[in-house]
Amino acid sequence: MSTATTDQATGRYARSMTALLRGTLRLDVWINRVYPTDFNPLYYTGGLSNLFLLTLVLSGIFLFFYYEASLGSAFASIQYLTERVPYGGVIRGVHRYAADGFIVGILLHLFRNWFTDRYLFARDNPWISGMFLLLFAGFVGVTGYQLVWDERAQLLTTLVVAMLYSIPAAGQGLVHLLLGGVGVSDTTLVRLLYLHIGPASALYVFLWWHYLRLRHPKIWPPGVWTLFCVGLVFLLAGVIPVTQDAIPPSAPAARPTQFPMDVFFMLPFWLMNILPAGGVVALLVLLFVGGLAIPYLSRRETPAQMEVRHAGVAQVVDGNCTGCELCYYDCPYNAIVMVPSPGPGLTKAAANRTLLAVVIESRCVECGICIGACPFEALELPKLMERDVLNQVNLAMQT
Amino acid sequence: MTEPTVVGFICDWSVDLKPLTEGGHLRELPHVRIIRVPCSGFVRPSWLEETLTRGAAGVFVTGCPYGDCLNREGNFLMRDRIEQLQRRLQRRRVDPARLGMLAFGLHDGPGFLAQVKAFVERIASLPAPAPARGGRPTVAQPAAASEGDAS
Repeated sequence: MSTATTDQATGRYARSMTALLRGTLRLDVWINRVYPTDFNPLYYTGGLSNLFLLTLVLSGIFLFFYYEASLGSAFASIQYLTERVPYGGVIRGVHRYAADGFIVGILLHLFRNWFTDRYLFARDNPWISGMFLLLFAGFVGVTGYQLVWDERAQLLTTLVVAMLYSIPAAGQGLVHLLLGGVGVSDTTLVRLLYLHIGPASALYVFLWWHYLRLRHPKIWPPGVWTLFCVGLVFLLAGVIPVTQDAIPPSAPAARPTQFPMDVFFMLPFWLMNILPAGGVVALLVLLFVGGLAIPYLSRRETPAQMEVRHAGVAQVVDGNCTGCELCYYDCPYNAIVMVPSPGPGLTKAAANRTLLAVVIESRCVECGICIGACPFEALELPKLMERDVLNQVNLAMQT
Repeated sequence: MTEPTVVGFICDWSVDLKPLTEGGHLRELPHVRIIRVPCSGFVRPSWLEETLTRGAAGVFVTGCPYGDCLNREGNFLMRDRIEQLQRRLQRRRVDPARLGMLAFGLHDGPGFLAQVKAFVERIASLPAPAPARGGRPTVAQPAAASEGDAS
């Protein structure tokens, strides 16, 4: 590919991303006319996903106590749970619909942060952990459908096995690991149960990584949205019971060829209608790797072309720093750490300091929030210093 | 030009100023001067104080809509800092209405202009002009500033 075509492609990508950014912000303006900005649901997509995840964990613990992981009794135990246990069917529905809400929340969160440039430069950490969260969430969803062990689960397992077989070299071994033998047996369901709960627990490890470099992350939506989402999930579970599709239990002799779709989790399996299994696996891997590469390859333009100010990483003025920790509390990216002071500062206020602020360059996004936080003139952006701003103020007052 | 100067510190990521400005001031309100900053949270409250001391009738900061700051928290922090500064200046008989915090998104130019106009009109209706003192005030020096903040 010549340089000219690369430039053209980058230009097209940049233009489409700019259009998407404009669209996102237009949508915000409309939503903000209906809600106060503090309640705009699109500002809380991450918090909403977290809410759905907690709903999933709580309802999942309830379901776990009734589930029996064996070929003969898996379906029967779920049927017992749905029909005999008080509110069992509702809880099962909550688990199903909260999972859909979780995926929708994650995808909205992903697209919003992609379109509004909140992944660039020093902010790749939440993006990478977010891609892993998405991958694990999708996987947990598929194993959840397999656990029911009806005809859909049987067909799904067949498709998963076909996808695994299409992986060169490792395929055979992976199938053996998944099924716990050459064919489906009681061991398979035990493994599936673990593959449902294990990665779901791992989601919290990835969440820790996701929040690692964020100070005061918005992990929870406003109270009214919490009530609304929980209410909506319960309402859906009551109005559209999960058993309305009436899928028969799996039988070794049955050769199911179709099942009711769930657009949020089953899309890859639907693709197998038009693509070979290997193609679907390659596509998924490509999407995941492409997603991981977005913060590094998709810089639309250089910062100068984006008309982004390049103010330089914040610098601590050693002589003025009093170790008061104000910048440390206000930095939104945990880019400032307080270290024991190696010696006293130069000014009177800094003479008795015990701590010194240090900026971690790789985490700084050059926003300058620490400059506003510091009342001691101990922080500067190298290319937009305090005296530049005051000069501009002077100029504004003269003309 | 009889109208007193008003200075606005405006975040790079909030209102798109290209259609609104002309040579460092708003086209519709030429006495409103604009200073671009990388984030509303970048503005140090002492600079706002300094701007008033140098004779501006009013000063405001504009950031992204609350909850949608590109840097997550800049506009909330700035809102709090401006409230603190308003309380502090009130003790020196500076009307809090001379300080303002606005929050508007990239495509919300008309809303932004309307609120700036309201801000300017409010200032024009205030009784006494800001007391203009020459030179750099003592509060801007680090040691004295610390006392100002602690009070």
